[in-house]
Amino acid sequence: MRVEDFTWRDPVTVDVGTTIVDAAELLAAHGVGALIVLDGQRPVGVVTDRDLVTRCLAVGMAPDSRVDAVMSMGVIAVDRHDEAEDLFHLFSTHAVRRAAVVDHDRVVGVVSLDDVLVSIAGELSVVANVMSAQIMFPHAGDSAPPPARA
Amino acid sequence: MHASVGDEIIIAGHVVGEAKRVGLIVEVRGDDGSPPYRVRWDDSGRTTLLFPGYDAAIKPLTEVDTDEESAS
Repeated sequence: MRVEDFTWRDPVTVDVGTTIVDAAELLAAHGVGALIVLDGQRPVGVVTDRDLVTRCLAVGMAPDSRVDAVMSMGVIAVDRHDEAEDLFHLFSTHAVRRAAVVDHDRVVGVVSLDDVLVSIAGELSVVANVMSAQIMFPHAGDSAPPPARA
Repeated sequence: MHASVGDEIIIAGHVVGEAKRVGLIVEVRGDDGSPPYRVRWDDSGRTTLLFPGYDAAIKPLTEVDTDEESAS
């Protein structure tokens, strides 16, 4: 399984000079939990809904503060053709819940830990259905052999 | 930001006591040495595709070589 096999969302981006209020409105409008922060065309950070709560609201930051004051620096990414295992390790080693999906040098999406869990859960339900069918309707040849006569 | 394969990338710690992260750039995907970079981290040995933030510094390969020679 590869990264591109998971469902991911289109990236939602903001400029470094965007205010935290405008960023919050963008999060709400797009129904996403994170924005990629751009300096020109270059991704330089990520700001999440949690950042806005813990780094802004919790400390009484002014609403017109810029997102680059509260974003996490750098954007961790994964190539769309990378193996799913690479993505799992990325979530684990970098302690992040989202990664940018890259096609060569361009960000084409954002995949979250939630997206991955939903995909895996879907596959597990298919396996569970097969198991259930085999338990409820066993093949004739699958039944245990009769006990040997003494 | 511009880098070449073999350069070192250093990510500064953000709080007191947090160690900096150091890695080796093993792939440059952007035109003219621009990001993203595939980085092999010294601490884990794993590679990550990264668009560096403002906290990152690039140490050119020539400086890395010079440092290693002076250390030996």
